[in-house]
Amino acid sequence: MSSMENYEAIAAGDSRLRLYPKHWGIPEPFFASLFDENTAFLHRVSRQGKALSRMESIAVTAAELAIEQAGIDASTKEVLFVLSTTKGNVELLAEPHCDDPSAVYLWHSAQMIAGHFGNPNTPIVVSNACISGCAAQLTAFNMLQYSDKYKHIVVIGAEVLSKFIISGFQSFKALSPERCKPFDAKRCGLNLGEAAAAIVYGRCENPDTLPDGTIILEAGAICNDANHISGPSRTGEGLLRAIHRTTEGFDTNRIAFINAHGTATLYNDDMESVAINRAGMQDIPVNSLKGYYGHTLGAAGVMEVILSSIALQKHRILPSMGSENPGTAHPLNVCLQHSTTTGDAFLKLISGFGGSNAALLFSLKKEKQVTGDRLQVTDDKIRGSNSWEQIAKYHLTPDPCNLSLNIDEQLTQQYRNIGINYPKFFKMDRLCKAGFLGAEVLLKDLIDDEKNNDDWGIILMNSASSLDNDRRFQQTIAEDDYFPSPSIFVYTLANIVTGEIAIRHKIGGETSFYVMPEFDEELMTELIAQSFNANPKLTYILCGWVDVDHGQHEVRMFLCRKNVETSRREDEET
Amino acid sequence: MEELIYKLKEEIIDVLNLEGMKPEDIDENAPLFGEGLGLDSIDALELIVLMEKNYGIKLKNANEGKEIFKSIHVMAEYINEHKTK
Repeated sequence: MSSMENYEAIAAGDSRLRLYPKHWGIPEPFFASLFDENTAFLHRVSRQGKALSRMESIAVTAAELAIEQAGIDASTKEVLFVLSTTKGNVELLAEPHCDDPSAVYLWHSAQMIAGHFGNPNTPIVVSNACISGCAAQLTAFNMLQYSDKYKHIVVIGAEVLSKFIISGFQSFKALSPERCKPFDAKRCGLNLGEAAAAIVYGRCENPDTLPDGTIILEAGAICNDANHISGPSRTGEGLLRAIHRTTEGFDTNRIAFINAHGTATLYNDDMESVAINRAGMQDIPVNSLKGYYGHTLGAAGVMEVILSSIALQKHRILPSMGSENPGTAHPLNVCLQHSTTTGDAFLKLISGFGGSNAALLFSLKKEKQVTGDRLQVTDDKIRGSNSWEQIAKYHLTPDPCNLSLNIDEQLTQQYRNIGINYPKFFKMDRLCKAGFLGAEVLLKDLIDDEKNNDDWGIILMNSASSLDNDRRFQQTIAEDDYFPSPSIFVYTLANIVTGEIAIRHKIGGETSFYVMPEFDEELMTELIAQSFNANPKLTYILCGWVDVDHGQHEVRMFLCRKNVETSRREDEET
Repeated sequence: MEELIYKLKEEIIDVLNLEGMKPEDIDENAPLFGEGLGLDSIDALELIVLMEKNYGIKLKNANEGKEIFKSIHVMAEYINEHKTK
């Protein structure tokens, strides 16, 4: 279905959520929105003649529609693909004799998708738990704003469900036994959904030339709660800071509605109500689209932005299906009915495991609109790498003198050598342990763990995402020994390592996780520069490569500091 | 009962990765959450799995755990009364 067909379906009150009593061998029933297995677009073959997975098939289908609508040639070097997904083809772990062992790697899926379109660039995967879709758009936004390398960026959000994902959320007691009720007083959990959605972003050379009705991404921010790896902050701290940074200098009276995350879990919806009230936006209409498709994980941030954009173009506010009697920690103006609006902007909010929160602000291009400086992206000075410097580095690989030790023993030995007392270390998966140790060494004596370090950010990447731990979780859901473990499942998201480091050191700035086939120093350099440029308050970024796969680990972490003097000099010259 | 309490302590140390702890270190009457062992919400979910996997006890509602997981002693009493394997 096209975006407009989806919009019209939900505007007519259609929900794709259904009860699945015994699906994929999962003992407990669940509500979800799943694609019909007979649907042709679930079983595509790439233009190179390679069979695509379910996730890759729907991603390609969504991207084809978006690329056609945008009228761009996606096979050129000036186009980059950014894929947002949390679990990719993780269901393949249940098939030990899979033809291609690399098919379960997220970067491989991204290459299959970009390759289908003949694109020559290495695609980027953003895997930042539930905020991935918005984080991917922010990555695209920063790349277009602070670099002239690409003319268009195709952002694709895609997620399919499986026994792996459903059983994990069930072990977390996060799923509602009925249709979800976002922001309702009687909400009792979320529903999951499958989806793919794609947006083509282009640099805005001159906003005046844009046709009326064009949706413009004005600003966005990611902030970490530094509170808990799975539980939302009771104070909404990270989301509040993301809202403040995103709407700074923007007339909030223009905001027609807030499209919230609204998962219908008790704590998420309460947390959003706290953050929205603390931001003074409690009177702005709020909706959640989870009642139509469920929580579509890596696709949610992209799909919900598209549907909200169409609503804004039509001057409509969609109701929050499932909400009947709103009841959150702090009151919200929850949309219960269709309504019209004269506002010309909307705010997208999203939060996820790892303590990450994102806010994106979109506006509608109108005739004779005063667009302001915020859109003059090509006039922004692109700062080179001399605006920041690497001040420390840390490499950790298997110790050649201690090859008799396995990875767990090596990580524990390293922990003992550092001489700290942090019992939570032993609850972490290997990826988090490796990243945690790197951070301990690099940040020692440089960061004050007693205060909030909102001027610090974390950007990490790897090849295997959380596959090392995913394989462990897969063992807990075997047919004959089915006891899905919540404490293993929580680490089946690569970005949890950024959350663990953020909690340890009270880091409240951007935390992002990317997946690439190998360490891409050039990309990392670009991401650091763009993050420093996008957030003037950011002073330090802990970054690098943290990978664990098949019993091997590799850590190459760096600490970068903004060069205040250089930045100030450049500002004066500008 | 003493035997069950000791076994439960061993199982909890193992499943919650309480590094460096021995059953003797745990006071069976001390609260499991907050003070005491300082467990958190994910640990509580893992204890629910432990009860089902090792003792055949399936909690209908996660909130029931709040009462059952007050201490090792309370947990052992509940298991003793409800176990099916």
